[in-house]
Amino acid sequence: MKAGRRRNLSEWLVTLPSLLWLLLLFLVPTVLVFAITFKPATPYGGIGDGWTLATLRTLGNPNYPAIIWRTVWLSVVATTLCILLATPMGYYMARVSPARRRLVLLLVILPFWTSFLVRIFAWKVLLHPEGMLKHALTFLGLIAPETSLLYNAYAVLLVMIYTELPFAILPIYAASEKFDFRLIEAAKDLGATSFFAFRKIFLPGIRVGLLTAFLMVFIPSLGSYVIPDIVGGPTSEMLGNKIAQRTFVDRNLPHAAGLSALLTVAVLIPMVAITALRRKESPKDALIEEGV
Amino acid sequence: MSEFLEFKDVSKHYGSVKAVDHVSLTVKQGEFFSLLGPSGCGKTTLLRILAGFEQPDTGRVLLGGEDVTDLPPYERKVNTIFQSYALFPHLSVWDNIAFGLKVAKRPKKEIKEEVGKMLTMIQMEDQAWKKPDQISGGQKQRVAIARALVNKPRVLLLDEPLAALDLKLRQRMLIELDLIHDEVGITFLYVTHDQGEAMSLSDRIAVMKLGKIEQLGTPAEIYEAPRTSFVAAFIGDTNFFDGTVAEPLEKNSVLEGFLSVAVDKDYSRLKIEDFPDLECYNDKQIKEGEHVFLSIRPEKLRISRERPAAAPHLNVIQGKVEDVIYLGSQTKYWVRTGDYRISVIRQHSRFLLDEKPIRWGEQVWVSWHADDGFMLEKYSEQDENLIQLPPEEVGETTESNQILVRAPAPGAVPAGAAPR
Amino acid sequence: MKPSRVPLIVTWAVIAFFYIPIVILVANSFNSSRFGGSWESTSLKWYIRLMDEPSIWHALTNTLIIAGAATLISMVLGTSAAFALHRFAGSQLQKLHYSIIYTPLVLPEILMGLSLLLFFVQLKVQLGLATIAIAHVTFCLSYVAMTVLARLQDFDFAIIEAAQDLGAGWWTTVWKVLLPMLAPGILAGGLLAFTLSIDDFVISFFVAGPGSTTLPIKIYSMIKYGAPPLINALSTILLVITFTCVIASQYLSNRGRKAA
Repeated sequence: MKAGRRRNLSEWLVTLPSLLWLLLLFLVPTVLVFAITFKPATPYGGIGDGWTLATLRTLGNPNYPAIIWRTVWLSVVATTLCILLATPMGYYMARVSPARRRLVLLLVILPFWTSFLVRIFAWKVLLHPEGMLKHALTFLGLIAPETSLLYNAYAVLLVMIYTELPFAILPIYAASEKFDFRLIEAAKDLGATSFFAFRKIFLPGIRVGLLTAFLMVFIPSLGSYVIPDIVGGPTSEMLGNKIAQRTFVDRNLPHAAGLSALLTVAVLIPMVAITALRRKESPKDALIEEGV
Repeated sequence: MSEFLEFKDVSKHYGSVKAVDHVSLTVKQGEFFSLLGPSGCGKTTLLRILAGFEQPDTGRVLLGGEDVTDLPPYERKVNTIFQSYALFPHLSVWDNIAFGLKVAKRPKKEIKEEVGKMLTMIQMEDQAWKKPDQISGGQKQRVAIARALVNKPRVLLLDEPLAALDLKLRQRMLIELDLIHDEVGITFLYVTHDQGEAMSLSDRIAVMKLGKIEQLGTPAEIYEAPRTSFVAAFIGDTNFFDGTVAEPLEKNSVLEGFLSVAVDKDYSRLKIEDFPDLECYNDKQIKEGEHVFLSIRPEKLRISRERPAAAPHLNVIQGKVEDVIYLGSQTKYWVRTGDYRISVIRQHSRFLLDEKPIRWGEQVWVSWHADDGFMLEKYSEQDENLIQLPPEEVGETTESNQILVRAPAPGAVPAGAAPR
Repeated sequence: MKPSRVPLIVTWAVIAFFYIPIVILVANSFNSSRFGGSWESTSLKWYIRLMDEPSIWHALTNTLIIAGAATLISMVLGTSAAFALHRFAGSQLQKLHYSIIYTPLVLPEILMGLSLLLFFVQLKVQLGLATIAIAHVTFCLSYVAMTVLARLQDFDFAIIEAAQDLGAGWWTTVWKVLLPMLAPGILAGGLLAFTLSIDDFVISFFVAGPGSTTLPIKIYSMIKYGAPPLINALSTILLVITFTCVIASQYLSNRGRKAA
């Protein structure tokens, strides 16, 4: 009994600091977002007293469905392409020599930790109307001189893939590394071609990694804000841009909160679904390292 | 039985390591053939070359007269039982067994029938929908066998299939494998480092060392007449004595009886330091003055308190018992003579408790017939290192039966080196 | 059997895709032309002009103060959290603890930014360096915890029992055995937190107040409203610093792994 209690005490002792911090500064503010959705805005950019459904009503504004649709669409395409590129990479990294693997891993991680803004800016320079890529493509006659590479949905998509791809590569690589490649041999031994074995044995084998990659790319994509802000234009605005616009330009905090609440719900649905799925599949692997 | 599977001068290098070194080998239709050797001897590489997972650097592989060297694995009519079983973890037992048939796009009805037959054979009809991680090691093994056999391969390749099982289960699966081989009648190519498995299952065995075949023959041939000291030490347990061949026996003719004179040519005298002169059968006609290793199996030695009566070709030496290990059906003695620790095994064919057993510290006589010893080339340090190599991969070692089959250090080790 | 070349080609193509923009950016920082469509001449003029921007130095100071504070606090909180998660794994409390640590890692930053802004506004807290630092601890904590947790997975807890068996008290065990052995992991986590804090824009942007401009906020306004060549030069300097940090942290974490 006494040992049990001491164990209990020491558990609380090491758990409380981080738990309290996150309860107060993560959970409470998140709940607050939902609450403030029902508060009125004051003309001075503050939050008024009392309760109102005004924000909820403005969410019915016909502008929003288009933006939400674009946000989801861009995120789905970006996630799909990231996973399509990351899967052969994970396979490659799991199969090469350890030295080569370390090199590739380092090369993947390096841009991952490089300043986010700098990487976006690098693309802005590259795609700029007077930038190198534009000159090259015009010179080759691939695009008309008046075509803009920047400020459209394709530029947003490209840069989203550029910044999110490492988040897909790392979990897929982690799963591929654990994959028992003798299973591929077994499949070939039983008459399967390489591609068949890849589809029917390898992909199901790294399913946990694929799910994690989906989560790690799709969810941040839904909340993209800086990328459409810098390389996108008015026709490629996403939900994140609207939240920032309501916060900084219109100074309507309840309105921003309403949009955030919407985004939170949109994000929680796939997250809870996939976490549950992953737990069910393999309780142990659900704790795949998120860091590097 | 016809020659059915043929390796012709097959070699395979990994960097500077010769995994398989110009091996030629034929296996007959329906034969249970084993490749036996310590880890790194090339046996698994040879198997993988046949399966199509590795390309040989030189040589051809023929299966039923057809050259299959360049075929990809999925076009070869061979199937493999992997050491780890390699069952697909996301598929049920049923789907695992059906895999090969589905790949071959067989009609659904046929798949159902064939898988059903296999499930009956391995007695797992009621576990068909379990996933591999829900069944036991022995069951996994059976599923792996069924998954391979359902495709009706011309050769079944088995890569250390029992290594992952514990001793009891291994013995049971040994019998099952034997039964399955009798039942399906196809050729089995079995790779193992465990000589016990190879001896009990095989029609023929190829003992391999450093990418080459050291000896090929039936289990009895290999055990009773090892051609090299590596084979003698690797298969079973043996005592080695370091000696020099002296003159053939007839010159010294001190033997009683006339009959022996005719065969005396086949025997040589052997000089071993600290020992009386020994006699040894010399079928290889090793010349006088050559340096040899005399190898004698522990169970061929007799141990007694009294000096045994002299008899033709009987070698007798005296020693002191240093260790006695009672093993139930037999007892193992370690007897010290000069620099040698001689291992002797005595079968208990009579009620033991009535006897006065030989104990630690007693002076004893060890004797054997000259026919039971072999003169072999020197047992090198390299051989010793190869044999001591741990079995590759898979958690379970063969520790439990190591006492019985392979003494840690054969008698050749001088006393000073291994005090005990 | 020939392995397919697709994985190899995809891998190196992606790596080229990762580095081409960065290389061009760095090259352009030495190009005296404004947009880098053509090469005028090699020059350090953007670097020299960068030195004359006092607002950049001010922003850098702010960033370092915030990163230093956030790193220290999140190292303490994250290490203790990782220890709790590992040692008491399986308890109801730790399941909750794990979810609340894991969730900030995947949630879009903008959500944390806005929710903290609303939180601070509601509590009428003056926005400034402190609020940014607090916000940074909130997400850095999770990264430190995950890094240390990963290290704890291959930590042999018999060592703690051995220390206690040899007469070490709880405090001695923590100070003399546990922390030194976990030091590489904690340091790697700290480096990670530091890098993330220095780099963070979205969350900082939401909770920044007047006079608390950080470097990323400064860069953002430069990208939005002005001087691209200057950012080229600044980015190059940042790239050199982060590359050094990442390689150092990889080295530390590899060395720690080998030692363990």
